[in-house]
Amino acid sequence: MPASTVSDGLVVLGAKDLTKSFGGIRAVDHLDLTLARGELRCLIGPNGAGKSTLFGLLSGLHRPDAGHIVFKDEDITNLKPFQRVRRGLCQKFQTTRIYRALTVAQNLVIADRTPRSSRRKNGRLSWALSTLGLDSEGEVPAGELSHSHQQWLEICLALATEPDLLLLDEPTAGMTPEETELTAQFVVNLNRQGLTVLVVEHDMAFVRYIAQRITVLHYGRIFTEGSLGEIESNHEVRRIYLGER
Amino acid sequence: MSLGYVVSLLYQYVDTIAFLLLAALGLMIILGVVNVINLAHGELIMMGAYITTLTYNRAHLPLPVCMVLSSIGVGLFGMLLERFVIRRFYDDKLGALVATWGVSLILSQGTLLVFGPSMQSVPLPAWTFSYGDYSFGGYRLVLFVIAIAAVLIAWWVFYYTRLGVRTRATMQNADMARALGVDTRHIYLLTFGAGSALAGLTGALYAPTTTIVPLMGSQFVDVAFITVVIGGGSNPIVGALTSAALLSLIATPLASTLGTFSGRIGLLITALVVIRFLPRGISGYFQDIRYRHMARVAS
Amino acid sequence: MAREYTGFWRVLNGPQEIGRGPVFWCLFAFVALGLLGYPFFGSVFALSNLANFCLYIPMGLGLALLWGYNGVLSFGQGAFFAIAGYVYGIIAGNLLDIPGGTLLAAVGGIAASAAIAAAFGYFVFYGQVSNWIIPLLLLVLSLILETFMAQTAGYQWRVGSVLLGGYNGMTNVPSLEIGSANFGGASIAFYYLVVALMLITYLGLRLLVNSHYGHVVVGIRDDVERTRMLGYNVALIQIQVFVVAAALAGLSGILYVSWGNYINPSSMGLLAATLPVIWTAVGGRSSLLAVLLSTVTLRWLADTLAVRGGEYAFLVMGILLLVTMLFFPAGIVVTLARRWLHQKSMYRDLKQNGAP
Repeated sequence: MPASTVSDGLVVLGAKDLTKSFGGIRAVDHLDLTLARGELRCLIGPNGAGKSTLFGLLSGLHRPDAGHIVFKDEDITNLKPFQRVRRGLCQKFQTTRIYRALTVAQNLVIADRTPRSSRRKNGRLSWALSTLGLDSEGEVPAGELSHSHQQWLEICLALATEPDLLLLDEPTAGMTPEETELTAQFVVNLNRQGLTVLVVEHDMAFVRYIAQRITVLHYGRIFTEGSLGEIESNHEVRRIYLGER
Repeated sequence: MSLGYVVSLLYQYVDTIAFLLLAALGLMIILGVVNVINLAHGELIMMGAYITTLTYNRAHLPLPVCMVLSSIGVGLFGMLLERFVIRRFYDDKLGALVATWGVSLILSQGTLLVFGPSMQSVPLPAWTFSYGDYSFGGYRLVLFVIAIAAVLIAWWVFYYTRLGVRTRATMQNADMARALGVDTRHIYLLTFGAGSALAGLTGALYAPTTTIVPLMGSQFVDVAFITVVIGGGSNPIVGALTSAALLSLIATPLASTLGTFSGRIGLLITALVVIRFLPRGISGYFQDIRYRHMARVAS
Repeated sequence: MAREYTGFWRVLNGPQEIGRGPVFWCLFAFVALGLLGYPFFGSVFALSNLANFCLYIPMGLGLALLWGYNGVLSFGQGAFFAIAGYVYGIIAGNLLDIPGGTLLAAVGGIAASAAIAAAFGYFVFYGQVSNWIIPLLLLVLSLILETFMAQTAGYQWRVGSVLLGGYNGMTNVPSLEIGSANFGGASIAFYYLVVALMLITYLGLRLLVNSHYGHVVVGIRDDVERTRMLGYNVALIQIQVFVVAAALAGLSGILYVSWGNYINPSSMGLLAATLPVIWTAVGGRSSLLAVLLSTVTLRWLADTLAVRGGEYAFLVMGILLLVTMLFFPAGIVVTLARRWLHQKSMYRDLKQNGAP
C-alpha cells in the first residue's frame, strides 16, 4: 500500500508565515508549509483547523493578512486566482462546481486552454478520463452524472488546465467506500506520474490508502507532520480530534 | 458669494435629495426585499400623477385627497402586478427586468392611446418666500419634509414592527424565514404594494410641478436607477439615504453651473466609478464591513 | 452527430445552435439563393423594404451573442446603433468631397460605439457587478443621450459643418460609397450589401459560438466563478463580447443612415433601446437563427402597424414581450423548434421500436 514518492526534492510550493483572520477569529495563524515537487501530501485536522482557508489562500480566493506564497520560484501572493491557474496551480473545490447544463465533452472543451496551433494531446487527461470511466459519457449533461462522476469530472477539469500542483479539497465527500478507494488509487497513480498533489481529507480510509506524508492542522497552525504510522500513533493528534485540550 | 447664493444652493441641494429619495425609495425597498428590479417603476409614478390629475380635474376632490387616492390606487395595482407577473421571476432578476419592461411599455403606450399625448395639469400651491435676491417655492420644501417622513416611516416599520422583523428575516434568508413560519409570499406582496404606493405618491406629489404626459416617468427613472445602483439593495434605507445625499452633493453644483445634462452625466459617471470599487453599492459595502467584524469560523 | 463532419463543418454544426445537418443547410442555401435572386423579380420598393428590415439583423445577432450566449442583458444596443449613425453623419458630412470619406466615416462610427462600449465595460466587468446593474445603467445612458441630443437644435450645435439638428435630427447624411458604388436606400447595391452582411454576420457568429472561444463565453454565462478558476481572465472576455455586440449594433446604425440619410434622437432613446431586447426575447436568445427570424418578422410587423395605426406599434410590442416572458421564456421560435425536434425524435423512437 505505501507508494513510493517520485519527489526529487525541489520545492514547488513555499508558504511562509501565512495569516488570515475573519473578524475576531484567526483562521490561519503564521503558517509555514513547504511542498516538494512530486510530493503527495495529506492535510488533516479537526473542523475549524483552517484547512479550507489555507486552500483559499493558496488558490487566491482570500488575500492573506500577512505572509507570502512562493510557487515555482515566483511570489504569487498578489496574483488573482485565474493568474495562479495559468501558472499551474489548480484547485478542485469541496462542493462540485461544474457546468451542469453543458455536456461532459463541452465541460472539457472549456477547461482546455491550450492554443489551437500547439494542441498536443493531454496524455494525463486522456488516461484520467478512461480510468474514471468518463470518456464514454461525453454527451451526457454534467448535471445528470452521478455524484462521484461529478467529483471525478471536476478533477479532470483541473487536470485539463495542465497543473503542476493540484489542490484537492475533500475529493471523496459523499462517496461510497468503493468509490473512495478508486479515488485514492487514482490520486496515487496521478502522483506517480509526477504531479504534486495536496489533499484535504476527513476520510481516514482515504488517507491511509495514500499513506504519504501527513500534515496536521489545528487552530490555524501546523500541529505536527509525519508519516502515516507516526501520525496514527500520536496521542496528541487523537486528542485534538476528540476535542480535549 | 452672498448668503443668498448659499441659501439658494442649499435649497437646490435639499430639493434634489427630496427628488432622489422619493423617486428611488420604493424601487429600493422592492429590490432589497423581493430582489427584483421593477422597470415599470417610472410608469407607476406616471400613474400616480395621472390619478391625481384625473381626480382633481374631473372629480374636483381636494388635492391632498387626490394624492392619497393615487398612492393607494397605484399600491393596489402594484400588488396585482406582483401576483400575476413578478411572482414568476423571484429567482430570475433579468427575467423580471424584461417582463416589467413589457409592462412599462403597455402602461405608457396604453396611457397614450387612452388619454392622449398630454393632460391638464394640477396647479402648484403658491407658497413662495424670498431671501435676499432669491425667491423660493415652498412646495418643494414640503416635498423634502414628506421625503424624510417616508424614510422615517420605512425605518420605523423595518425596525420597530413585527412585520418589519419578518421582512428583514426574509431579506437575510428567505428559506430560513419560511422554515420559521414566515409567509414570505405575503411579505413580497405587501412590499411590492408598499413600494408601488410610494411610487404613486411620488407621481402625485410632483404632478403640480411638471407636465402630465405618458412618458413622464422617464425623468424620474434615470435618477432612481442611479440612486439604486449606488445605494445597493442590502439595506434599502441606508442605501437610499447615503446614495441620495452623495448624488445630490455631486449633481447640485454640476447642474447649477453647467446645466441639467451635465448633472445627469455626472451622476452616471459617478455610478460607474462607484460600482467599479463598491460593486454592491454603499449599503452592500457597509454590510461587508459588518460581516467582517462578526465572528466567522472557517474550517 | 458531430462525428458526421470534420473541421470547419463540425464547428459550423456545433451544439450551440439549432438547425444542423444536411436538410437545414439545403434549406439555408435555398433561402440564401432566393434572397440573392430577389432583385430579378421584386420591385425596387419591396427590395428597399426588405433591406430595411434586414439591416437590423447584425444588431439583433449582437444582442443574441451578448445576452443569449454570455448572459449579459443590454438595453444599450440602441444607443450604440445611434452613436455610430451620428458619428458617421458627422464625419461623412465633413468629408463630402473626399473619396472614401464615407468609408472612413463608417469605420469611425463603429469605432466610436466600440470605444464607448469598452469604457463602459471596463467599469462594470472589472467591478464584477451584479447582472441587473448593466441593463439599468445602459438604460440610463440611452435616456441621457436621447435627452441631450434632442436639445441640440440650433446653429451652435454643430461639429465642423454638420448640424446635430436637435429633436429633428441630422438630415442629408450621405449614403455609403465604395469606389463608384453608391449604397443608397433604394439601390440594388444596398440590398446586396445588407444581404451579404447579414449572411456573413450570421455565419461568422455561428462559427464563433461553436468555437473554443464560444464555449468559454457560454461557460461564463453558466458559471462565472468556475470559468475564472479554470484560468480565464473573465472580465477581459466579457468586455470583448460586449464590444463585439456594440460594434454590430453600430454596423446596423451605419446601414440605417446609409439607407435613410437621416438619424434622430429617438433612435437612441428608451423605445429604440427596447426593440433589440424584444426581438431577442421573442425569438429566443439562445439561438442566433431564432433571433434572425424574429428580427425580420417583428420589423415587418412594426412597419405594417405603422402604416395601419402607428400608435399601436409599441403597445403590441409590449404585450408581445410580456406574453413571451410569461409563457415562452425561452423564446417563441426556440420553444417551437424544441417541440418539433422532440416530436421528431419521439416519432423516430416509436418507429425504431416497431410501431407502424
